[in-house]
Amino acid sequence: MKRIESKLNTASADFQANAEHNRRLAEAFKEKQDKVRHARPQRDIDRLRQQKKLLVRERLELLLDPGTPFMELSSLAANEAYDGEVPGAACVTGIGIVSGREVVINAGDASVKGGAWYPLTVKKTVRALDIAIENRLPVVHLCDSAGGFLPLQADLFADKYMAGRIFRNQCMLSKMGVQQVSVVLGHCTAGGAYVPGLSDYNVIVRGTGAIFLAGPPLVKAATGEDVSVDELGGCDMHTSVSGTADYPAGSEEEAIAIARDIVAQFKRPQKSLIEWQAPEAPYYDGRELYGILPRDIKAQFDMKEVIARLVDGSRFHEYQPNYGKTLICGYAHLWGYKIGILANNGVLFNDSALKGAHFIELCNQGRVPILFLQNITGFMVGKEYERRGITKDGAKMIMAVSNCEVPKFTVMCHGSFGAGNYGMSGRAFDSRFLFSWPQSQTSVMGAEQAANTLADVKIRQLAKQGKQLSQADIDAIRDPVLGEFKRKQSAWYTTSEIWDDGMLDPVDTRNALGISISAALNTPIGDPRYGVFRM
Amino acid sequence: MSAVPDTSQWPFKAVLVANRGEIAVRVLRTVQKLGLKGIVVYHAADRGTLAVKMADQAIEITGPTPVASYLDGAQIIAAALASGAGAIHPGYGFLSENKGFCQAVEAAGIRFIGPTPEQIDLMGDKVRARNFVEKAGFPVAPSAIEDDDPATFVERSRKVGAPLLIKPSAGGGGKGMRIVRDLSLLEQEIVRGRSEGARYFGDGRLYCERYIENPRHIEVQVLGDGHGNVVHVFERECSVQRRFQKIVEETPSPALTPELREKICETAAGIARSIGYRNAGTVEFIFGQQGEFYFLEMNTRLQVEHPVTEQITGIDLVLQQLRVAAGEQLGFEQTDVKAQGHAIEFRIYAEDAARGYTPTTGPVLVLHPPQGEGVRWDSGILQGGEVTSAFDPMIAKLIVTGHDRADAIAKGDAALRDTVLLGCKTNTAFLRRLIAHPAFVAGDVHTGFLDANPQIAAEPELAAETLQALLAAAALSTRPMRDVADAVPDMHAAMGGWRN
Amino acid sequence: MQHAFKLGEAEHNNALSRSANAYRLHFGEQVIDVDLKTGADGRAWLTVGERHHEVVIATRGDDVFVHFDGEAYQLRYRHPLDRLAAAAGGSAEDHIRAPMPGSIVSVSVKPGDAVTKGQTLLVMESMKMETTITAPRDGVVAVVTYEKAQTFDRDALLLSLEPNQ
Repeated sequence: MKRIESKLNTASADFQANAEHNRRLAEAFKEKQDKVRHARPQRDIDRLRQQKKLLVRERLELLLDPGTPFMELSSLAANEAYDGEVPGAACVTGIGIVSGREVVINAGDASVKGGAWYPLTVKKTVRALDIAIENRLPVVHLCDSAGGFLPLQADLFADKYMAGRIFRNQCMLSKMGVQQVSVVLGHCTAGGAYVPGLSDYNVIVRGTGAIFLAGPPLVKAATGEDVSVDELGGCDMHTSVSGTADYPAGSEEEAIAIARDIVAQFKRPQKSLIEWQAPEAPYYDGRELYGILPRDIKAQFDMKEVIARLVDGSRFHEYQPNYGKTLICGYAHLWGYKIGILANNGVLFNDSALKGAHFIELCNQGRVPILFLQNITGFMVGKEYERRGITKDGAKMIMAVSNCEVPKFTVMCHGSFGAGNYGMSGRAFDSRFLFSWPQSQTSVMGAEQAANTLADVKIRQLAKQGKQLSQADIDAIRDPVLGEFKRKQSAWYTTSEIWDDGMLDPVDTRNALGISISAALNTPIGDPRYGVFRM
Repeated sequence: MSAVPDTSQWPFKAVLVANRGEIAVRVLRTVQKLGLKGIVVYHAADRGTLAVKMADQAIEITGPTPVASYLDGAQIIAAALASGAGAIHPGYGFLSENKGFCQAVEAAGIRFIGPTPEQIDLMGDKVRARNFVEKAGFPVAPSAIEDDDPATFVERSRKVGAPLLIKPSAGGGGKGMRIVRDLSLLEQEIVRGRSEGARYFGDGRLYCERYIENPRHIEVQVLGDGHGNVVHVFERECSVQRRFQKIVEETPSPALTPELREKICETAAGIARSIGYRNAGTVEFIFGQQGEFYFLEMNTRLQVEHPVTEQITGIDLVLQQLRVAAGEQLGFEQTDVKAQGHAIEFRIYAEDAARGYTPTTGPVLVLHPPQGEGVRWDSGILQGGEVTSAFDPMIAKLIVTGHDRADAIAKGDAALRDTVLLGCKTNTAFLRRLIAHPAFVAGDVHTGFLDANPQIAAEPELAAETLQALLAAAALSTRPMRDVADAVPDMHAAMGGWRN
Repeated sequence: MQHAFKLGEAEHNNALSRSANAYRLHFGEQVIDVDLKTGADGRAWLTVGERHHEVVIATRGDDVFVHFDGEAYQLRYRHPLDRLAAAAGGSAEDHIRAPMPGSIVSVSVKPGDAVTKGQTLLVMESMKMETTITAPRDGVVAVVTYEKAQTFDRDALLLSLEPNQ
């Protein structure tokens, strides 16, 4: 495989300006993330300290193997919701190494609203457990939650993907033989009680940990029974009487150490065999990604330059270099793992769509996981292209993407608009992991087009009513629409809504993908099989 | 003098070593070099030791304690008789200076490799020995005993001369001791000493002797054949002591001028000659800063620190003991005894110097004795063995020989550094600190040196770098830690503590 | 940093991780590249950061003996579960309940007694077998429920310790 020859002029004014712009975005991202992780009202921290509780980040560091990576998922979940008052959606999820095993960690964050479950908390938790199911990863639950946030119960309780799904997913995991351990570090009340209840192993901390369907006040109200937390669902009761929990612990540190020892007993799965060779760092510096991504969402850039900064040795075997050139296809290694890459270098034409579908089939034949690098304005429109069957060619690509058996990974590098989002394995197409870069945008069409379209409809309605509109009136209609559209297509919003598995600083993408691929290989890769390709 | 003698005419062909540990090994080495059969007795606690492995025959002895078995003369003599040993070498300690044992051995028709019972008896009684030596005209520390004539005690004490030390006769442990530097205060100090003695010990009688400030311990090796021939084999300086036990011995003494050396060595030879001494022996002196020296005692046996003498003279002292026991004459003159170079012996103890030199025990998991030119390792322990509290904590002796004292110290430091013994704490690091001390380097030591410099024994603060290295070594050798690290997949290990 | 070694009187928390080619020692705020290559005779090459040291290492149970830079050291490993259980002081049960029905043969302690871990608290008889109940940790006896010859049911509280602190 030969090295991609970078054509980047890192001394150019454009590169420098891009670098400055994107680096600032990355910094803004890190700042937001830092706030989400650490900025808490002092009284909340004091309360936890008084209860002899550790903060969730401290718990994580104790749980994880030292000197190993932790890939946090959806760190900015709920950041644009609930007036920003539920940072991280009051929970931390991610993939880390515990006793040498790749595990999903699902940790409540009691420093946010006592760890209450908001709708997005549920969504984030369900997604983490979906990841566990899809990638057969054991789960460590660090339970410390006040229970569902009652004012929003309608948005979190009953529907298919709401709270019940957490427990349903736990059961699915169990059926699949994927182990779970719960560490009960706070109260697990009502639904929350089923998290340990449905786990294979439970550790509970004496004094602070408790499991019950209803806490003492509710019991008192329901039956008149006066009972203490410890008597009702404390450590010693559950580990010696009810058998709901397995291991008593005298402290959080001990509980986590016991949990680590439990995970050390888990069998390690035989990973799917794919092509692999010893990893090699990219030849080109990953930090140059900042200078590649344009300031303007509409500006074009060469995705091959991005590939060169993600893959081993910056080496790339390009498939059909002269055909359908707006979609780059080819093979590379990433952290040693052989992958196929589909990357946009412009709008998808008939030939690029056909090339993409074909390449996906090749990857499935060869058991090569696929990485999608999105910068797509959509499939080409117009009479000529419709006549050539752009819709059915696009459908072929979507068919191939949907039925793909090898694990898929998607990075929202820049624009992701219209059906291009689908063809390039958008969120709905079950990529095992999907990440967004800070400047990326996702929507059905570009913001300007959309705003104009919406404004036009309004203007026509008003015109029908005989109203003449000045440019100021038109702007007054158009600008709020444009603003709202822009907000909702920005990565800050999409990541807040958990349309992805988290925002990434571009330089972190290589490691995040390495961890993702490794995790994905816990699940066997099926034989290729598709629906009907419209020919 | 070190040539291997013809033993064909010797009255014994087999020698039983009534001892254990390094000295048993030491004696066996020469016995076997001479083509004689080497036999040891051993207690079960010593079954795996080098002496038992080396011996041509090893006979188990029993007793209520391990030490008691080595003190059971009757059992040992029976073992000698049963094994056909014609001679018994007692080593040092245990029965080596036991007149009764010596007599019983000879009564059983076995040669005792040592002095006559009378010589043991005389030198074994400190007061008799002192009086004998004094009468024979050799220097002993001036003293006065109140008991001898209470009426003249003050007068006699005055004659002892200042500085002098007043001790309660019944005392011990330093209680009630008074140093008098000004004789005009003598009477009032004696009055106080009496009342203190009466208070502490219920006995006010006193004893007084010349007080030697910062004394050195210098001893002289002598050899006598019982036929009237006695030579000295130069001196050994054994001033560095802890808890009244020597830990570093060297020869020649850095304190002696050639004239003083001649004087002290001839004195020792004279004392030995005056009793017609047979065997290797050691005359110990207390040596003052003005060059004055006084007889302390005579050890009528092979001394622990005999190797330093062997190293600089080339004389195998055990071989000479065997020759004399076989009835041979020395066959060489004083002028034939020559010394070259400088030798230092380090006693390797299983002990924790920082905790008052308390004995330590443990398994000998790894033992790599030091090697190299001028390095001698006399030891009875083996890798895989165990250091127990059953015996004295001295587990080995390291003897280094250099062309001069500085060279010997340098070799000693290197050899101590190279001495690897894991599983049981030893004093090697302490010994390195000791010989690095400027006073030791200058040869300026005395018997109270370690008490006056307690920082030598104290555990030094660990350097941060050392602590890191130790934790690294330990972590990498601890399965639960290494297993957890090894369980991490390659890629994740290579990423390290990456966070997104 | 859950692992620990005792060296002299001091206890040092630390952890080990693997790097691309060797290992890392995590000690306080420091992360140091380390490695150990052992030869046939027990001698080994220890790498700490940029430096290499010849060492000899022996282990016995939880004791690690290291000959480093001319001196022998002894470190004692403390497993996190042991260390944390001891630190929590009460991971072991404070309330000692009857493992099966039976009767009391003898009681060796009374409320207020200080007990050390492993000390006999009482002897019970059940199913023709005598079982000795020992203190699960150092502590003070709070309650002794039964006297000699009294009988009890399974899970009956036999004795409890004062909670720590």
